[in-house]
Order: sequence, then C-alpha cells, then structure tokens
Amino acid sequence: MGEAVQHRALPGTPGGRPVPMRDEQSSAFWDAAARHVLAVAKCTKCGQATLPPDVTCPHCLTTEPEFTFEPVSGRGHIRSWTIIRRSFLQGFDLPFVLVDVELADVPGLRMIARLLDGPAAKLSLGLAVTAAFEDLTADCSVPAFRLESAA
Amino acid sequence: MSGAFKARNQVAVAGFAQSPIVRRATRPLGATAVETALQAIADAGLTVGQIDGFVSSPLMPAMGGQSAVDGLSTVSSAWLAQHLGVDASYAVGFAGIGQIAGSMSIAINAIASGAADYILFHRALHNPPGKYNDNAMSVASGTDQWIAPMGFYGALASAALTYNEYCQRYGATREAMASLVVEARKNGARIPWSAWYGKPLTVKEYLDEPTLADPMCRYDADMPVEGVACFVLTSAERARDLPNKPVYIAGYAQGYPTEHRAKMHWTLDEMTEAGARLHQRLWNVTGLRGQDIDLPQLYDGFSPFVYIWMEVLGLCGPGEAHQLALAGGIDSDRPGAIPVISGGGAIGNGRMHGIPQMLECYLQLSGRAGDRQRANVTTGLACHSTPNFGGCVAYSNEPG
Repeated sequence: MGEAVQHRALPGTPGGRPVPMRDEQSSAFWDAAARHVLAVAKCTKCGQATLPPDVTCPHCLTTEPEFTFEPVSGRGHIRSWTIIRRSFLQGFDLPFVLVDVELADVPGLRMIARLLDGPAAKLSLGLAVTAAFEDLTADCSVPAFRLESAA
Repeated sequence: MSGAFKARNQVAVAGFAQSPIVRRATRPLGATAVETALQAIADAGLTVGQIDGFVSSPLMPAMGGQSAVDGLSTVSSAWLAQHLGVDASYAVGFAGIGQIAGSMSIAINAIASGAADYILFHRALHNPPGKYNDNAMSVASGTDQWIAPMGFYGALASAALTYNEYCQRYGATREAMASLVVEARKNGARIPWSAWYGKPLTVKEYLDEPTLADPMCRYDADMPVEGVACFVLTSAERARDLPNKPVYIAGYAQGYPTEHRAKMHWTLDEMTEAGARLHQRLWNVTGLRGQDIDLPQLYDGFSPFVYIWMEVLGLCGPGEAHQLALAGGIDSDRPGAIPVISGGGAIGNGRMHGIPQMLECYLQLSGRAGDRQRANVTTGLACHSTPNFGGCVAYSNEPG
C-alpha cells in the first residue's frame, strides 16, 4: 500500500517536498517505484548490483555498464538510523526517521530512506524492514521502509 | 609511492597569521585575506616581493546552493596574488574534500621541487547570509535524486547516521560526547581569535541542548564563520635564516572512498577501512604511526569524527574512543592524556575547516603557543575531514 503524505505545499512545487527529476539512467528506477517496486541497477557486464548507478560499474569497473534495473524483494535490515528534527529540505513534516538499510537480496548494498513507523518506533541494529512507498504525485512514488514486524 | 617521503623535513612553515574568526563579517572576505596574508608574510620576516607561490583550497562549504564569487565568498590563489600585486610564478588550488591536507600536499611538493621558493598558503572561509545548509530544491536532479526525495540531505544527517551506527555498535552515549565537545570549547575559549573566545560550554549545557538529528545537537557541529588563516612555507634551509623557529613537514597522507554509495552516504565501516589504508600510508611515508605523535590534532567538523580518527590512528582500540573521552583521556590539561583537540578544533574556534588543527601543530612545535605552550612536543599531526575523503599532515620541530 502507498502511504498518504500530508504536505504544506505540493511535492515538486515551491516549498514542497523534492521530487526526482528522471534522467536517461534513472527513469527505469522511478518507473518501478511508481509501481511500488524497489529496483537495483545491475551491470550488464558483471551482473552485480549497485545503487545508485554510477558512471562506471563499481564492481568490475567497466566504462559501459549499461545498467538495467531489476526488482528486489525490498527486504533488508537496519544498519543505522537518525531522527530528523530539523530538515534542510522543505516539505517534510517533522520529526521523521531516516534509516540506513542493507538490502537482503544484495549484501553490502545500503540505501537511506524514511522509516514510516514514526519516531516512537523502538529501533535496534539488525532489525528487519521491508520497502514501502510514499506517493508524492500521481506518477511519482519514492521508496521508504517499514518495520517488518509491523508490516 | 613505495617508500619514504624524499622531501621529509625539507619543507618548513616559517610564519603565520590568523584573522579574528567571526560569525558574520562586516567587510569583504578578500579584504581580510589580503591583510592576513600581509601579516603572515611579515611574521615570517619576508616582504611581499619575495612570495612567488600561492596555494589554497577555495571551496565554500555551504550546502544551500549559494554561488561563489572570488574575493567575496571565496578567495582563490590567483585572486590573492593579484590583489597583493604579485606576479606569481605558481598560483594553484586544491579541489576536493579534505582541503587542508590536499592543498598542503600541493604546497609542500612545490617547495620541494623548486616550483616556488616562498609560498603563501591560505584558507578563507565565508559564512553567506541566510541559513547555511537550507536548500529550497523542489526538484532533485542528478545525484540528489537518489537522496533528497527520500528525505536524506546534508552533512548533519550524514554524520548523524554514521555516529548512531557507532553509538549502537559500541554503546557510546551523549554523556561521553559531552566531554569531547566541552574539551573542544574549553580549549577554543582560551584562543583570542576564536569565535568562542571566553565562551566555554558546560556538560549540562550540552546535555540540555535538543537534538537536531539524533543523537547530534548543534554543539556537535562546528559553527559557520568568516575567517582567514595564512601560513608561509619555504625550504627548511631558507627557514633557518628566518626569525621564527621552523616547523618541518615530515610528510602527508590522504584518504579516499572505498565504497560506491549515494552522495553523502558515508558509513562507519568505510571510514574505518579508508582510515586503515591512510594510517598505513602515513607509516610508509613518514615512519610514524598515530601513537608516535606527541600532538595529534583530530578533525571535529562534526564531533564523532574525532572518535573515528582516534581509532583509525590507533590512539585507542576500535570502539574505545568514547570511553577514553568520558574518562578524561583527551583532556589537554591532564598529564598523560592524549591532547587530540588541544587547539580547540573547529568546534572550539568556528568552521575554519582543518586550520585549527594545523595551527595548533604549528604554534606548539614552533614554541609560539604562549600561555598554552606544551612541554616536550616534537611531532604533530593535523587531520582534516574524515579518513575516507580527508587526510593528514605530519609536522616535526627537529630537522633531518
């Protein structure tokens, strides 16, 4: 399920939460996110996954990685977290939790996103989470996480 | 490089000047830079006409997307040379993070190679109007699209994630960090040009301060300031004919990222791994390890970075830095403690980047620290940024 997001201003408008500007390399990631699917970039030369896609493959160092985005389960565990009480970005309701999550399907691959369980959630290292999505606009959803125990 | 630094102790710092460090400037940064440069040149016993090299790192660190204007919000080497009326033979800058170690390596090599005889090395920091790190982006493009839509942006959140990973892994507390921050502010409060001169912080004030990005509060971050520091570098041989006791450069080591992740996603493991490589490099180049240094001055742009530097330099075991801090083990007034932030650092002086660390090494090793002068100090290490992007420069007051 997508999460209803309350905003002072609409995402992508002045004062609103930032929305991603798709580009040639990222559009498949955001297309997947819009369908509430978390995808990672796979190098077509070595088959290893990364996020975000870089100019070269960080694993095999090819200059022509021709990344394709492939779905992952979205499951992972918490490597760190912080409660943001003062955001340098606009459009977020404070406070909120950021988690640094290592994905179960790709050991070592970590991404930072919001934890939607709220600041009162009791957290610890290694806690299992699963991907969730925040619907910012009609065609734009961004990845977040939820505690697996609550999902 | 496979072996020891060939120019070890062949390059020296011959003089310095530090402007007052203020929250907001009342005049253009370039004017302060010109005056501070003139003071440093005079302090080294030289005249402007003798300076033939300029090295700096003209980055404005504000994250708000402000544009940089040379002479107003940054001061480049070429700008400073021109505005001192010098037709420099060598005027270059370092682009990257870890500006002080990076630009110092350029300056050191220029003296060692003979590219310049006398180098004016400077760092000028500007605090632009408005909120320093706020970013009004409503569309996140390029590398920002992988972080900002998900709520992650800026160095404070980045450092808080790294720090909380440390806290959770090793049981570090805000009480331990209070002792580190109070130590930095105690030392900064003794330095006349510091933005925090005469303004120490108490443990209670630290603990009562609300967090901004848990477990960090504003006292864990250095305050944006306006200020200029200048040093004069020359060969060890020439420095011996100048008025101040020379401080020689034993070598330097840089650190680099070991992992590919989203912008500002710096993990504890990456800092530790990059730090181990950096420490090995320091040993290869200088024959010094962290525990050999009398005066390690560790970077504290965010307070937890001091823990990380302490551990990668082997000043304590992994995960032990917070215990050492809590037990008074970094109290510069305590015999037997490791004075890792005796110069006040960035938290105790204001956001002069790695300058307070470099300046403390210079002042103590040249015997010019006044009331704060420490006894029996022959080696210093000035660290800047974090080990995965920054570096360190080793100093000695013994030639050869």
